[in-house]
Amino acid sequence: MIKRKLEELIDTGSRSRILVYACSLGLIGLAFMVWSLFDQGWIPVMMAMSVGQVIGTVSLALFILVIVIDLQRATFRPSIPPEPPKPEDD
Amino acid sequence: MHASPLSWIAFGSALIAAAILVHYLVRRPKLTAQVKVTLIMGLGVFPVLTAMVGNMEGLAATEHHAFCGSCHTMDRHLEDANDPDSISLAAIHSRNNKFGDKSCYVCHKDYGMFGYALTKLGGMGHVYMFLSEFAWYDMDEALPKIHIARPFKNENCMQCHTTTGHLWNGVSDHRGLLDDLRAGETSCVSAGCHGYAHPFSKPDEETPSDAEVRSTEVTRSSEET
Repeated sequence: MIKRKLEELIDTGSRSRILVYACSLGLIGLAFMVWSLFDQGWIPVMMAMSVGQVIGTVSLALFILVIVIDLQRATFRPSIPPEPPKPEDD
Repeated sequence: MHASPLSWIAFGSALIAAAILVHYLVRRPKLTAQVKVTLIMGLGVFPVLTAMVGNMEGLAATEHHAFCGSCHTMDRHLEDANDPDSISLAAIHSRNNKFGDKSCYVCHKDYGMFGYALTKLGGMGHVYMFLSEFAWYDMDEALPKIHIARPFKNENCMQCHTTTGHLWNGVSDHRGLLDDLRAGETSCVSAGCHGYAHPFSKPDEETPSDAEVRSTEVTRSSEET
């Protein structure tokens, strides 16, 4: 089921929307990580090393998903164009 | 902020990453190759740097008093350790520069080969116990229930008090109990010897030695079978 959802997302997903999610999650993850630099109690430190990093990883995974979508939708053209047809000899 | 160079590196890289992400969210530029490279810096390189340095700083923070004392159930332990007039073992050792503000960790850590990891795993156990039970108690309710998970090992004392020095061996009780102490048969922190490290926490109890706990477990298991 997850595989099917992922394939559907790759086929129809909006790259810009996924990137908005990725950036928003990235900012939340960074906030958790920075919190532990300011307050070194057990809650911030553990949140940074667990929740913060999981959210950060998800945001990076979403970015990689956008790259995969890009590659899926890209139409690759050969770098050397085919030779033009030769004019027929009279 | 904890002012170490590593913290500043983590903070700086987090700021750069945040600036890149906010810029994308505000401007929403077209997804060109250049934008992708910038985004991989903002979503990958700088956050990973922040996380790695943050981990190092976080793990270092777990060795300090402030971290151990950040659970309210440890308030009195910390107060006693920081009390310049206290004569408890915890306070005496905390006044020593070699322990300093890491005295909880230095005394309670596991000194074995995988000691660091095992100590951290033990800490996770403390977190679980705090969240599942002790968080709901006030200090007076919690104090009688707080017990060390395993008997305190003499080996931890022996990291500094090697049991080979002249001063140490000059004490007749030490000489008489030398083999027992080295084997963990008698606890250094038992009531008849140096007493509890945190005496306010359980005034009416005896501290069993490693050997006593082992023999109790053997008796229990033989009774069960």
